[in-house]
Amino acid sequence: MRKLLLLLLLAPLFIASSCDKDPEIEVVGNVEINFKANYDGELFMTQNEYDYTSEMKVKFTELNLFVSNISLLEFENSSEETELAEVDFVDLSFNIDQETEAAAGYDISTKKVPAGTYRALKIGFGLPADLNRTNPGDYGDGNALATSTHYWAAADSYIFSKIEGFSDNNGNGIFEAGENEGLRFHLGQDEVYTERILFPSEPIVVTEDGTVNLSLDIDVKKLFGISDITYDANQDGLLDFENYSSSHGDTDEPGFLVDRTVMGNYSNATKLNQ
Amino acid sequence: MIRNLLVSTLLIFIIAAGCKEVSSFQEPLDLSQIAYHPNPVPIKVPKGFPQLPLVNKNPQTEEGIALGRKLFHDPILSADSTMSCASCHFAHLAMTDGKALSKGIDQKEGLRSAMSLVNVAFYNEGFFWDGRVKSLEEQALLPVEDSIELHNSWDQLVDKLRTHPEYPVYFRKAFGIDSVAQIDKYMAANAMAQFEKTLISANSRYDQIERGEEEYTPDEKAGYEIFFDDSKELPDGECGHCHNVPLMTTNEFLNNGITYAEKASDFPDLGRGGFTGSQFDNGKFRVPSLRNIALTAPYMHDGRFKTLEEVVDHYASGGHYSPSVSPLIKPLNLDETQKRQLIAFLNTLTDLKFVQETQQSEVY
Repeated sequence: MRKLLLLLLLAPLFIASSCDKDPEIEVVGNVEINFKANYDGELFMTQNEYDYTSEMKVKFTELNLFVSNISLLEFENSSEETELAEVDFVDLSFNIDQETEAAAGYDISTKKVPAGTYRALKIGFGLPADLNRTNPGDYGDGNALATSTHYWAAADSYIFSKIEGFSDNNGNGIFEAGENEGLRFHLGQDEVYTERILFPSEPIVVTEDGTVNLSLDIDVKKLFGISDITYDANQDGLLDFENYSSSHGDTDEPGFLVDRTVMGNYSNATKLNQ
Repeated sequence: MIRNLLVSTLLIFIIAAGCKEVSSFQEPLDLSQIAYHPNPVPIKVPKGFPQLPLVNKNPQTEEGIALGRKLFHDPILSADSTMSCASCHFAHLAMTDGKALSKGIDQKEGLRSAMSLVNVAFYNEGFFWDGRVKSLEEQALLPVEDSIELHNSWDQLVDKLRTHPEYPVYFRKAFGIDSVAQIDKYMAANAMAQFEKTLISANSRYDQIERGEEEYTPDEKAGYEIFFDDSKELPDGECGHCHNVPLMTTNEFLNNGITYAEKASDFPDLGRGGFTGSQFDNGKFRVPSLRNIALTAPYMHDGRFKTLEEVVDHYASGGHYSPSVSPLIKPLNLDETQKRQLIAFLNTLTDLKFVQETQQSEVY
């Protein structure tokens, strides 16, 4: 009899708790972000020659970067963020024989994004300090952060972005590594991580089972914009490649301004299109 | 009479033996009565090393490694039973052969130097100097049939393994086969790959220093700082870009400026480009690990540099022009003392414990 009473008492509790556990059916859709690169408006491809200044041509051989903390915001200063991706490695080093791939770019797809209207996209260029404290040994094969090609042990930092190539400094039409014409920008360390909130022309509307396509276009030439006369002897608003063709100085070295500037330029060089 | 009896007895024995032999060819030897209890032996990943792929289709077992070790060292692999993998990969030379270009059974020189097998478990960007195969298991299949290496055929080798007095039991214990007919080239390659994945070197003087057990000499320290650009006072050797910790390679394919080529098609050995077909990969080769580099002379894919001094001189010079040369190659402005210090650091990458332990486990 006592058992029956206990059962009768507990039964409503069980029913109530099982009701609580009923999953709320969430309305979700998909978001695809496509990354592409251009050079002053022209499709960017490695091994292609571009005008840097009226007298100097450049040719790139590698362009890639880590992006992180990508999220959607419902309004400009919203503290509520809908995360799309914690981190990814965007490699845009497609060469001139890979024009189709260059035009297609690199996609980050996120499924099950809560349906709704979002006003902005937040993105980190590089890695925030908490991720940058880790190292490739912390990650399994296939994880973007498992790569040792983008880790700089001496600085205990990932290389957030690699931009390599050549500038034809002497104008002889030949890109010569041995003549110090190599460009070696390996940008990293906590100080150069930047986050930016990008606003589309129209709100980003995620609908049930629908897919929103966002496009982020990086203008590579704009990455080298600089206003400091020390690094822009020609005063053309561009980094002087003849004297500053590499990065990865210590943070307390004057040359670190180059790292900070180029990495910081990703914010302004990236345009969000829908 | 006694003589006739002896001859008759011998005849019976010969016929019986002959019958048995014929029978063993016709009916696969039943191995199912032999115990099959493989003991898993996960690869011990040294601290700081990259994690291994989560999905491993060829799990390491004590028995698989034992079979792989035996095969690796057994001249049965070659057509004339004179050479094995170990003929070009010696433990005391950090799994290389000390030759610029290796020779196979027909005394023909290969096109490239024998690569070190140290830490191959952690390679994830393809094997051989041009990265033409994706996994160690695939890699282990190729030298057997290469006409300038072991010049054998897998069909012939598998036949020998099936009728060998010892191998069927090894294969049974490693892979649980029920009959010799199940022995195939993929099992053999998987076993060799399992053995090769045990060739882990992570106890050099450099590692001991990193673990706080030892300290650099002043020259070694200076060399470290040049290597990794860790000093404002010393020039940047630019080495760490491609020979990054912990493997001392980034596993990339790059052109390090050793060959002058006016056009992409001018390289005598196309390297990576010969595999990918991309002109932009011509002249690129795998960046080798510098672990145990003092033991692996001569250097580069064609063994053109006999000493580390020659290697350092090459990099310090800024190399030669070619369309695919890496932008990382540039004149380094190292003086003779700094070059010597760089080599002092490179010598700290030698892991004698690895050499000793690997030598002790060699099977002849």
